[in-house]
Amino acid sequence: MGSQTREKLTVAGIDVGSSAVKVVLFEDRPGAPGAMLLGRSERIRRRDPQDVARTLFDACIAETGLTAADLAYVATTGEGENVGFRTGHFYGMTTHARGGLFLDPGARTVLDIGALHTRAVCMDGRGKVSSYRMTSQCASGSGQFLENICRYLGTTIADVGPLSLEADAPEPCSSICAVLAETDVINMVSRGITTANIIKGIHKSMAGRYLRLLTSAGAEGRVLVTGGLAADVGLLAALREGDPGKAARFTVHSHPDSVFAGALGAAIWGAFRVRKLQSKGVDLALGGAAA
Amino acid sequence: MKYTVGIDLGSTTTKAVVLGDGGEILGRGITNSRSNYAVACEVALVEALIAARFGLVERAMAGLEADESIRRAWLEQLQEGLRLGQYRAQLDSLGAVLAREARGSGLEAGVREIMDALGAEAPQLYGPGTARQSDFFRDLSGSRYRHFASIAASGAPGLFDPLVGLFDKSILEVENSPAAGEFSSLVRAALAGLDGVPGALRGAVEEAAAVPLELAVSVGTGYGRATLPFPKEQIRSEILCHGLGAHAMFPRTRTVLDIGGQDTKAIQVDPQGIVTSFQMNDRCAAGCGRYLGYIADEMNLGLHELGPLAQQATRTVRINSTCTVFAGAELRERLSLGERREDILAGLHRAVVLRAMALLARSGGVADEFTFTGGVAKNPAAVEALRQLTAENYDGPTLNISPDSIYTGALGAALFARRDWQRSLN
Repeated sequence: MGSQTREKLTVAGIDVGSSAVKVVLFEDRPGAPGAMLLGRSERIRRRDPQDVARTLFDACIAETGLTAADLAYVATTGEGENVGFRTGHFYGMTTHARGGLFLDPGARTVLDIGALHTRAVCMDGRGKVSSYRMTSQCASGSGQFLENICRYLGTTIADVGPLSLEADAPEPCSSICAVLAETDVINMVSRGITTANIIKGIHKSMAGRYLRLLTSAGAEGRVLVTGGLAADVGLLAALREGDPGKAARFTVHSHPDSVFAGALGAAIWGAFRVRKLQSKGVDLALGGAAA
Repeated sequence: MKYTVGIDLGSTTTKAVVLGDGGEILGRGITNSRSNYAVACEVALVEALIAARFGLVERAMAGLEADESIRRAWLEQLQEGLRLGQYRAQLDSLGAVLAREARGSGLEAGVREIMDALGAEAPQLYGPGTARQSDFFRDLSGSRYRHFASIAASGAPGLFDPLVGLFDKSILEVENSPAAGEFSSLVRAALAGLDGVPGALRGAVEEAAAVPLELAVSVGTGYGRATLPFPKEQIRSEILCHGLGAHAMFPRTRTVLDIGGQDTKAIQVDPQGIVTSFQMNDRCAAGCGRYLGYIADEMNLGLHELGPLAQQATRTVRINSTCTVFAGAELRERLSLGERREDILAGLHRAVVLRAMALLARSGGVADEFTFTGGVAKNPAAVEALRQLTAENYDGPTLNISPDSIYTGALGAALFARRDWQRSLN
C-alpha cells in the first residue's frame, strides 16, 4: 500500500438530473466518515445541462478556494455521462444508495424522488444494493408532475409543503396524467376547493404510489427520502400517514442534504476508486482530474 | 326565426353551431375554454349568432347591384370592423381591471403605457386580409401585452415579470365576465367606420339585424359532462355528438377519429350516423392534442407552427417515450445530441398518430369512409402521418377532413337539439 492512501482526498460529485444539476465537494478521510465541504444545486430551466454543470462546478471550486488541480476525482452520476471534464461515471442506483447511507447511516432503503422518475433502492449497511424498483413510462406522481400542478395553481414547489399541511379536507384524486392534471385542477378550482386541499390530495396520491413502490421493493426499517422532493414537508407527512398496514414495516425520514445524495454518493465512490487504484500502484493522474 | 344550437365545451376551446329552422347551418362560433364554463358557452353562442347575422347580411346583400367581389369586400370590412369593436371593448375592461390591480404597486405608469400602446395599434390588427396570431382575446392581447411590456421594461429589467404577472391575474377576471356587446350596436359602429357605404348595404345590414332569432332548443356536450352548465336532459355524450356530426358532414362516414385537446376517440358509426362502438384514451395525454401543445410549449413555438415544421423533416426520428412529459425530456435530450428539430417533430407527430391507430384497431379498425375531426385534423403533418399509416394498415380508405372539423361535436349536438325540437312540435 502506498503512503498516499493515508492522506485525505478531495473529490467532486456531479449529479445531472433532468431538472437540476447538483454538485458537491467532498473530503474523504481514511478510516473516518469524511465530510461534505459544499453542496450546490441549480435548476436547468431549458438550458444545456452540460453548460449548467460546468458553470456550477466552477463556481463551487471558486467558492471553496480550491483549484481543479486539487481534486483527486470528478465523479458524475445521473445523466452526467457526457460531462466532458469528469474522471468517471457511476450509475444512479449505486450513488443514491451510497449517498443515502452517508447522510443517514441507519437507512436501509433510499426513496429517490426525481423530476421524472422515482426509485426505491434497498441496501445493506455497506451500501450494497439488494433490490431496486423504479417508476416507468409515465410521469404521473413525479416531481415534474407536482411542479406542473403548482404552475396551474399559481404557487411554487417551495410553498406546497407548508400549504399541504394546512389542508382540512384533502380532495381525493386518482393517479392522474401529469399533463391532463391541468384540467382536473381547474375543475377542482372551479368547484371551490382550496389550494391546500387540492395539494394535500395530490400529495396523498403521490405518497400512495411511492408506498406501493417501497413495498414491492421489499423496504424495511429506515427509509431515507432523497431527491428534490425530500424537502417537501407535505409529501413527507403524506408518506408517514399512508396506509399503516403496509407502511408499518418501514419508517420514512429525510435529511437537509437529501437533494445531494446522488452527487455525494458519486463523490464517495470516486474517492473509493482512487484509493483502490492507488493500493494497486496505479496513480490516477492525481490532482489533474478536472484540468 | 327559431334556431337550435349545439355547444361543445372542450378542454381547450368551446364551440357552438347554430341551425336555422330548416336545419341549415346559420353560424359557427368558437372561443377559448376557461374556468367559468357558463361564460365560455355563452361567448361561443354569441359568436355563432354573430356569424349567423353575417350570413343574413350576406343573403340580404344578394339583392344589391354590385359585383360579387365588391359585396365580399364590404362584408369582410364589416366583419373586421366588428371584430375591432369587440377587441377594443375587451381592451377597455382589461384596462379597468389592470388599473385596479396595479393600484399602489408602483406599476401604474407601466400599465398605462402598455394599454395606450395596445389601444393605438388595435386598428392595425384588424382589417381585410390581416393575419392575426389568434382570434381569442386572451392569446392576442396577451402576446401584444408581453411585447409592449418588454418595451416598457427595457430600462428596468425587474419590471417585466410583475407587469406580465399582473396581466395573467387580470385576464382571468376579464374573460370570466359575461360577453359584452350584441350584433346590432357592434355592426352599426363598424358601419360608421366605413367610408362611402351605399345606402343599400346599410339597408341590408339593418334588415339582417332586425330578423328576430329565437332559441328553440339547445344541447350541450363536452368533457366533464357532470359540470356542464346545461340542464341534464339537454346533454348528450361527446361520442354520440361526434358520430352524428361526422355523419352530417360526410354521410358515407363509417369510422371517425377525433383528436381533441385532452382525448382521442375512435368511433364506428352505422349508415345513419349512430355509434356502434368506440374507444377512448384513458387518464393519459399521450396521443392527444395536448401532447403536441406541450411539445410546442417546450420548443417555444405556436401550435400551428408545429405541423409545417415537421413537414420539413428529412427523416422521422423514432420517439421512445409514451408519456408526454417524458417525450418533452426526450426532445431536449435529442436536440442536445444534435438531431434536427424538424426530424424529431416528425417523429412526435407519428407517435401521436400511432397511439390513435391503436385506439382505432381496438374500436374495430378503419372502415371506408374515414373521417378525421378535432383540432389536430388541422395539423398537416398529423394528417399526412395518418394517411400513410391507414394506407399501410387498412388498404387506403377515403380520408375526409372538413375545414370546419373542429365543430363536429357541436354540429352533432345541434342536430340532436333539432330532433328534440321537432319531437316537441309533434
